[in-house]
Amino acid sequence: MSEIRTAIQSLKMSFRTRMQYRVDALVAALAVFVRESTNIIVIYLALMKFQNMNGWNVSEMLFLYSILFLTYAFVVSLFADLRDFPRMIREGRFDRLMVRPRGLLFQLILSNADVIASVGHGTLGILLFVYSAGKVGIEWNLTTILYYICAIIGGILIQGGMFIFFSSLSFHFVETNSLREIFYWNMRKFAGYPISIYSKLIQGLMIYVVPFAFVNYFPAQYLLRKEDMANYNEVYMYIAPLVGVGIYSLAYVFWRISIKRYKSTGN
Amino acid sequence: MRTYLEFAIKKFQNKMTYRFDFFMEIVNTIITIVVYLCIYKALYGGTKDIDGITYQMVATNFVISMGLSNAFKFNEMFLQDKIHDGTITNEFLKPVNFTFRMLWENIGEGAFKIVFNFIPALIFTIFYTSFCPPKSIINFLVMLVSISLGYLILWLISFIVQTWSFWLFSVWGIITIKNVFVNILSGSLLPIWFMPDLLRKIISFTPFESIYFTPVRIYLGELSGRDILSGMAIQILWIAVLAIVANVFWKKGVKKLVVQGG
Repeated sequence: MSEIRTAIQSLKMSFRTRMQYRVDALVAALAVFVRESTNIIVIYLALMKFQNMNGWNVSEMLFLYSILFLTYAFVVSLFADLRDFPRMIREGRFDRLMVRPRGLLFQLILSNADVIASVGHGTLGILLFVYSAGKVGIEWNLTTILYYICAIIGGILIQGGMFIFFSSLSFHFVETNSLREIFYWNMRKFAGYPISIYSKLIQGLMIYVVPFAFVNYFPAQYLLRKEDMANYNEVYMYIAPLVGVGIYSLAYVFWRISIKRYKSTGN
Repeated sequence: MRTYLEFAIKKFQNKMTYRFDFFMEIVNTIITIVVYLCIYKALYGGTKDIDGITYQMVATNFVISMGLSNAFKFNEMFLQDKIHDGTITNEFLKPVNFTFRMLWENIGEGAFKIVFNFIPALIFTIFYTSFCPPKSIINFLVMLVSISLGYLILWLISFIVQTWSFWLFSVWGIITIKNVFVNILSGSLLPIWFMPDLLRKIISFTPFESIYFTPVRIYLGELSGRDILSGMAIQILWIAVLAIVANVFWKKGVKKLVVQGG
């Protein structure tokens, strides 16, 4: 129980820190919202001219994208420190956590939340979901709702797991930012669209290496059943929520092994 | 002039020392372009052309405008940082015009990225997809001039927003929003050909169309003869207008500037 209380307390603190400059925080949240809307505006305008993309119409595309935003809103409020981990190591702030009476990962996950980004992504995700969920012909019943919730949690765990994995690499290598840049941030750019539009190589990366496909594409396929699903094994749709648990556990094990190698950068 | 050119060269050399960074930026540019090319391949889905616009033309538009927009990125928080830490006062003591120094440093950075980011990405995309050759050698050369004018427009818009840091605590949010407008309305994410008529009409009254779309159209030969001249005249007109606005903000801002401590 005390864990949860600490967690809520620290979330409140993150929020209050950012709210010290209220106008600035609001403008920043708005800026994140507008920046992330860019792709949405582009998709919307493009699909006014072209009717569909590989069989996906505009509402279905927005539904696909909304999952990415919704999961990411949780990811930045939970894993903000792991996202910025290399800097934390470099500045020696990681050492501070080691003397506190809680698990390291626990502290990392709960201590900092990127409230601004979370609000920006979250608002956009909710708006897109509300706009599209009724138009894409999903029959919302107990099974689909339950599947959807599990898929969102799975998506959070996949991305969180990736952050833990990349952070663990910091214990092995001095410079990991570029790996992160290529394998997380760049691959994420592919994730907003149906992966069937890409070459086999990119599809393979998205499914087996940096499994963004399980964050939004396969869950959306389970609910929408578009024709391009024929290119992939049907099992992927059903296991999508479980992939998150698998990846997160693997990342956790890797973290436990890697942390033994930690040497401080000094003060 | 010589002095300012020196600033540009210094910045160019300065960038050379961080080699790994620019490798990452090439990957970044290439992936952004590839994503958009895949999207448009899927949107075209075998159709030859939409309203006379072929996939090749779209690809050309993206490679030029998206490639350049990545190359033309520079640190837009420069002025704000200088104001926040007070070092801007040192700049005023130096016998060079601070604004021109900023411009030329950014040009130096842009030139670096054209050579080490844009051109490698361009070579990659030549192998990756097919796009249109320039209409003629002359079109190509005129396009280079037009791109330089486009850069000035882009830079002036950024500079105007940067000067607002004399009044605001942080301009990060406004700069981010400004960039969304620039990216969308300049046609670097959605070719201006495909925009709804009303929006296209509105854009033609803004400087955004002059940034990348005019050079692209010159390259493709969509503009020819008189139209090229009028297109470039509009670019020059926008540069003049924006320069005047920038000057007003800058003068007012400098007057208002209070730096605490010393």
